[in-house]
Amino acid sequence: MLSLKNDGACHGIDCLQLVVQGRPLEYHGARDVRSLLESQGEKAAYANVRINGNVLNRRDFENIPIKEGDQIDFLYFMGGGSCLI
Amino acid sequence: MFNLSDEEILRYSRHIILTEVGGTGQQKLKDASVLVVGAGGLGSPVLLYLSAAGIGRIGVIEDDVVDVTNLQRQVIHATADIEKPKVHSASETMKQINPHIEVDVYHERLTKDNILPLIDKYDIVVDGVDNFPTRYLINDACVMKQKYLVEGGILRFMGLIMSIHGGETACYRCVFEEPPPPGTVPSCAEAGVLGAVAGVVGTLQATEVLKIVTGVGTPLFNRLLQFDAEELRFHEVNAPRNPKCPVCGDNPTITELIEYAYTCETQAPGTS
Ligand SMILES: [Zn+2]
Repeated sequence: MLSLKNDGACHGIDCLQLVVQGRPLEYHGARDVRSLLESQGEKAAYANVRINGNVLNRRDFENIPIKEGDQIDFLYFMGGGSCLI
Repeated sequence: MFNLSDEEILRYSRHIILTEVGGTGQQKLKDASVLVVGAGGLGSPVLLYLSAAGIGRIGVIEDDVVDVTNLQRQVIHATADIEKPKVHSASETMKQINPHIEVDVYHERLTKDNILPLIDKYDIVVDGVDNFPTRYLINDACVMKQKYLVEGGILRFMGLIMSIHGGETACYRCVFEEPPPPGTVPSCAEAGVLGAVAGVVGTLQATEVLKIVTGVGTPLFNRLLQFDAEELRFHEVNAPRNPKCPVCGDNPTITELIEYAYTCETQAPGTS
């Protein structure tokens, strides 16, 4: 599971206050799910993502916006390799 | 009336003294039957604790043999067991721990052809596999048969636990609708796993089985618990039933068992 990386104070227009994995996160990156995942390290590549309770389709991560106050959970796939069709 | 011998009453006295369990709960454990799929990283602690707790009949299905690389986490097997079928090594250990239990041994792979009659013989199924095809197969079969299923998964320093009552509470597909895309999620063989993480998750799975059987407390239904050993944190996610779930939703599209095919396995799918 990822360790949250706070990347600075949240005092400007370019910062979002999020709740990620149940903990507050000040986020400065691009406002889409893929960018958030990437900002939080490689392990997020194994995850499904839920925003405010809704599970997202993995194929749409770059098109899904995140906004102030979003509650984001990473649901990690665990228990097997994914070499399958 | 309890069907417990003097030796059993003494053996299980630390259970029986728990007012929530008592003799009644211990008798329920003795009357219960549990199928554990996989005698590997997760299966080891599950089988050890279920045996010690006096689950009356425990089935274990696994087609693999003990390998030296298993011993870092698969604590039911010993160095002398290398090359033995895991089911035999496991059942020997289980009977040494508790001669009062019955162990059903299946030295075979769980498939869509044998799973339904097999799980019919047990009250609860525990998932201790390390491949997605079998994981989804078990989930779907338990939904179709309305079985209790205790899910568990591990990878690197992380673990996941979820309890399911097929058709009644959220299933694995309610959260993870389909397997991850090819190449995105490594196996423990590829990415590694801290041995004790298997102990944490497997022991929690065994705890859930004992709770479901005795009726003590609240099972991890409609909730997903993620464990992060690096930060030593648990993160719980609410996971209610998903009306769009392909197997237990309002309009299920999966009405027959399916087995996802492998494309890049270099060896037979093993257990975590
Ligand atoms: Zn479901």
